[in-house]
Amino acid sequence: MQFSTTYMAVLIIGLGTFVSAAELSDKASPAEVAAEVDRLVGDELKANEIEPAGISADEDFLRRVTLDLAGTLPLSRDVTLFGLNPDQAKREQAIDRLLESDEYAAAWARYWRDVIFLRATNMRAALANKPFVDWMTNNLSENKGWDEIATEILTATGDVRENGETALIFAQEGLPEDVAGEASRIFLGIQMQCANCHDHPWDRWKREEFHELAAFFPRISVRPVREENQIRSYEVVSVNQSFNPQDRFRELKENADRIFRFADRNRDGKLVKAEIARTQLARAFDTLLERGDKNKDGGLSLTELKAVEFPMPMQVGRGSTEHFMADLNDPSSRGQQIEPKFFLTGYSPESGLADIDRREAFSKYLTSSRNEWFSRAFVNRMWAEMTGEGFYSPIDDMGPDRTASFPGVLDLLATQFTANGYNIRWLMKTIALTQTYQREIRSTEPGTEAVPFASATATRLRGDQLYSSIITVLGSEDSAGRGRGMQMGTGGGMYRGARSPRDQFGELFGFDPSTPQADITGNIPQALFMMNSPMLAAQINARGFTRLTGLLRRFPDNEDAINELYVMILSREPTDRELKITTDYLTEVGDREEAFEDLMWSLLNSSEFLSKR
Amino acid sequence: MNLTTQRHETVQVRKHGVSRRGFLHTVSAGALAAGTLNLRDVMSLQAAELRKQGKSMILLWMGGGPSQFETFDPKPNHANGGETKAISTSVSGIQIAQGWEKTAAIMDELAIIRSMTNKEGSHPRATYQMHTGYIPSGSVKHPSLAASIAKEISNPEFDLPAVVSVGATQGAGFLGVQYEPFMVQDPSRMPQNVAPSVPTNRYGRRLGLLDKLEDEFADRGGDVVVKNHRDLYGKTSKMVLSSDLKAFDISDEPASMKEMYGDSNFGRGCLLARRLVEAGTTFVEVSSRGQGGNWDTHDNLYERVGELTASIDPATAGLIIDLKDRGLLENTLVVWMGEFGRTPKINPRGGRDHYPRVFNAAMAGCGIKGGQVIGSSTADGTAVADDPVTANDLFCSICKCLDVNPRKENMSPLGRPMKIVDGGAPVEKLFA
Repeated sequence: MQFSTTYMAVLIIGLGTFVSAAELSDKASPAEVAAEVDRLVGDELKANEIEPAGISADEDFLRRVTLDLAGTLPLSRDVTLFGLNPDQAKREQAIDRLLESDEYAAAWARYWRDVIFLRATNMRAALANKPFVDWMTNNLSENKGWDEIATEILTATGDVRENGETALIFAQEGLPEDVAGEASRIFLGIQMQCANCHDHPWDRWKREEFHELAAFFPRISVRPVREENQIRSYEVVSVNQSFNPQDRFRELKENADRIFRFADRNRDGKLVKAEIARTQLARAFDTLLERGDKNKDGGLSLTELKAVEFPMPMQVGRGSTEHFMADLNDPSSRGQQIEPKFFLTGYSPESGLADIDRREAFSKYLTSSRNEWFSRAFVNRMWAEMTGEGFYSPIDDMGPDRTASFPGVLDLLATQFTANGYNIRWLMKTIALTQTYQREIRSTEPGTEAVPFASATATRLRGDQLYSSIITVLGSEDSAGRGRGMQMGTGGGMYRGARSPRDQFGELFGFDPSTPQADITGNIPQALFMMNSPMLAAQINARGFTRLTGLLRRFPDNEDAINELYVMILSREPTDRELKITTDYLTEVGDREEAFEDLMWSLLNSSEFLSKR
Repeated sequence: MNLTTQRHETVQVRKHGVSRRGFLHTVSAGALAAGTLNLRDVMSLQAAELRKQGKSMILLWMGGGPSQFETFDPKPNHANGGETKAISTSVSGIQIAQGWEKTAAIMDELAIIRSMTNKEGSHPRATYQMHTGYIPSGSVKHPSLAASIAKEISNPEFDLPAVVSVGATQGAGFLGVQYEPFMVQDPSRMPQNVAPSVPTNRYGRRLGLLDKLEDEFADRGGDVVVKNHRDLYGKTSKMVLSSDLKAFDISDEPASMKEMYGDSNFGRGCLLARRLVEAGTTFVEVSSRGQGGNWDTHDNLYERVGELTASIDPATAGLIIDLKDRGLLENTLVVWMGEFGRTPKINPRGGRDHYPRVFNAAMAGCGIKGGQVIGSSTADGTAVADDPVTANDLFCSICKCLDVNPRKENMSPLGRPMKIVDGGAPVEKLFA
C-alpha cells in the first residue's frame, strides 16, 4: 500500500525532517498527493508526540464517504457487500463510483445553493433556487473546472429563472458592494465587507481596496421582468449608461441654457408643461416645478430652473455607471469615484470598461494561477466539509493575516488543485483517499483541546443530507421526488415558492454551510419534528404498510431483526452492549411490534443518525 | 456540592441579574453553605425570583409599513392628510387617526413617537434593520433584538422557548439556536409537533431507551455531539411534557376575553402573546403580516387601512388593557411599529408608497410614560420637525426599559465583537 511505504520512508529519514515535495510531479495523481498529505500530517503529529486515531472500519468509512460524496446513506445491502469485499482497492473503487453518481452532482449543487442563498439579502432570491441547482448539477456532473464555474457566476446575465449562474448576483440584488463582498468571501475565503465603512482594525485591507473590488460591479442591474403588467421574474442586465438621478440632474444644470432655449418654444422666458411634453424633461417636470417655481406662476424661468435644488436620494450613487466610495464625513455627498483594482495582485483593467468586460477582467484575475487564494479557499472549504475541520476556521475567513493549521498541507493541496486545472473530482478523490480523512472519530481527553486531523470529527448532517438519509431509510422517493410519508405542512421562509418536500425539510433543518461545525447543534423545532411529526410517526409503524412491517416479517428472529434495523438506520451492526439493551427492552415491553417501533424511533432520534461519524 | 458547581451557580445567578443579596434573602445562607440544596433547588428558586422581576416584551409588528397619516399622525388639515379624520383620545390635546377608537381610549398608557426617521425604503432591508438594528450584509447574520434581549434576561430554566414569534421573523443570527424564535403559524392551534405521537408514558419509555443507546456513540468518539444532543432533547422533551405548554392553547380563554381582543388572527396572536408572557416567555412578536394584515398600501388606501384597523385596533387596545388588569404591564413592554412609513402624497392609485424619512411607532408599559407624544412631523408630513428618533434610538430605549445594556458586545463568528445596538441613545422623554 502507498501509505505504508511512505510511512516507512518517514521513519527511515528521521522524525521532524522535512522532505520537500519535489518528488511529486507538478501535476500529480490523487493517490500520490494523498500519500504526501498523510506524510506531512504524520510528521507534524509525530513532532508533537500525538498518536493519530486508527483507520475507520469499513462500515464507518462507507457511511462517511457516501454522505460526503453523494449526500446520503448507503443501502443496507451495500454496507454488507462492502464489508465482505476482499479487494484491497475497494475504498478507492467506492470513491470513484460515488463521484460518478447522479447523487454526487445533485447533492453538491444543493450544497452550493445553500452557500449562496442562505446569505441572500432578499426573500425573492428563492426564485432562482431551482434554476441554480439545475445549472450547478450539470456543471458538476460534467466536472467543469472551479475556475470556469466561478467565471460563469461572476459574468452572468439574463433572466434568473433561465440562467442559474445569476444566483450570486441576484441574491445580492446586484449591489456592487454586496456582490464584491460575497465574491470575496466565497471565492477567496476573505472577508472584506467590514472595510465597506472603515479601515479594518484587524486586517490589512483598506477601505479603498474594498471599494476597488466593488468597482468591478457598478454596471450590474437587477430588473423585474414583467408579463401582462405583473412581475414574473427578474433579470440581471448590464447598464452601461447612467440612470442615476443625480447624474441626470447635473447634466440638466450644466446645460440649462441650451435646454431652456430649446424647450421654450414660444420664447416667453417661461417653461410650462405643454411646452416640454415631448422632451426628456417631461417626466421630471412636476417635481422641478414644485421645487423651483418660486413666484408660483405655474412655469419655470431660466433663473428658476438653474436654482432648483434637489435633495440627495436615499441611496447616493445608485444607478451610476461608476463606483463611488461614500465620504464618511459627508454621507449625503456622492463620494469619490473609484477605479477597479484587484487587491490581492494589484491588477487593474483600463478605466471606463463596459460591464461584461469589467466582470471578465475580474474573473481572469480571480482565477489566475498567480492568485493562490482562489484555490486555497476551495480546498479549505472542501477539506473542512469532508473532514469536519478546516485549515482555517471559519472556513470563509482566511487570508494572509489568519493562521492556518497544517499550512504545508493546504499549500500542497492548493498547488496541486491549481495544477490539475481546478478539477473538483480530482480534489474530492484526493481528500477521500487520505488516511487523515479515513481515520476514526475519538473522544478527547477532558480538559484537552482536540488536535486537528489526528482523528476524524463527528459533525452534524446538513439538512439536505439528513433528508436524503431519512428517505433512504424509509424507502425510495417516488417519481415526483416525494419521500414516502414525508409530506410536510406549509410555511414561509427562505425557500418559499420552491415547495418540494425536500425544500420544506430544508427550511426546518437547513443551516448555512459556512457556519463552523461547533456552532451547529440543532434546535427545538427540529427535535420536535424528529420526535413527534405525524409524517415520521406514520413510518415508525410495525403494523401498517411500512418498511418496518416488512423487516419484521422477513426476520422473525428478534436478534436478526435488530441487526437489520441497525444496518438500515445506522449503517452498522449493533454492539453486544446495544444488543443486550435492545433485547432487554423487547422483553420488558412484551409486545414485539411496539418495542420495535420504539427502537426505530430511538435510532432515528439518536445523535449518531443525525451525525456523520 | 463541589466547588465547581457552586461557582457555576454564582455565575448563573449574576448573569441573569438576580442580586446575590436578594437571592440569599430568600434562601437561608446556611442551607446553601451546608449543601442541603441541590442544583435543581437552586435553579428553581432562582427561576421563581426571576419570574417576579422578569421583564418581557411584545412586539406588534406592522409588516408592510403602516401609514403614519392613517395611524398616529393624522393631518386632517393638510392635503397630504387625505380623507382620514382625527379623533380625540383619553388624553386631551392628543389626536390620532380615525379607526383607532379603542386605542384612543387607552392613550394614557401609550407613548407615540411621530418622529421616527430612517433611510431604508425596501421591505426586506428595512424589516431586517428594524429587527436587528443593523442593515443587512451578506457576511454576517445579525441577531434579532429579540434574541439579544433573550440572551440577557431570559430564564434558562423556563420550559418553553424564550423567543416566540406568531408569523415569520428574523432569526437569532450568530447568537445561535438557543435564542432562535419558536415560530407559531396559527395562534388558534397548538404549534406543530409539540404533541407526542404516542401516549406520554410510552414517549417517556422511548426517551429512556434513546438515552441508554446514546452511550455507545459517546464512547465511540461522539461524546461532544451526544452531549449537545442530550441537552437539546432534554430541553425539547421538557417542553413537550411541560404544563406551561398549555400557554399555547388559547381555547380555554373565556369568550369575553376573546371578544376583547377581537375575532381576528391578529387578535388571537395578541391573546397568545399575553398568555406566553404570563407563563414566562421573554419576547413575543405578533406579526400583522403573518396574520394576513399587510400594511403595504400602494393602492386603495382607505379601504385597506379600514380592514387593518378593524382587527389591529381592538387587539392592540385589548392587549394593553389585559396586561394592565393582570399587573403585567408594569414589566411588559409593548412596541407597535413597522419597517417604515408612507409617502405624504397620495399616488394616482389612491395609495401611499414607501417613506422611511418620517414614520411613527408607539410604546407602552415597562417604565414608558404613557399619554404623551414624542417628536413631530412638519405640517405637510414630509419631514421630521423636531426630536428625530432613529432606529438605534428606539432600540436603545427598548433596552433601557428592559434593563439590557445596549453596548453589550457579543462575539460574531468572525471573532469580531458586535454591540447589541451600535449607536443611538435612549429617548429620555419616553421615561420622563
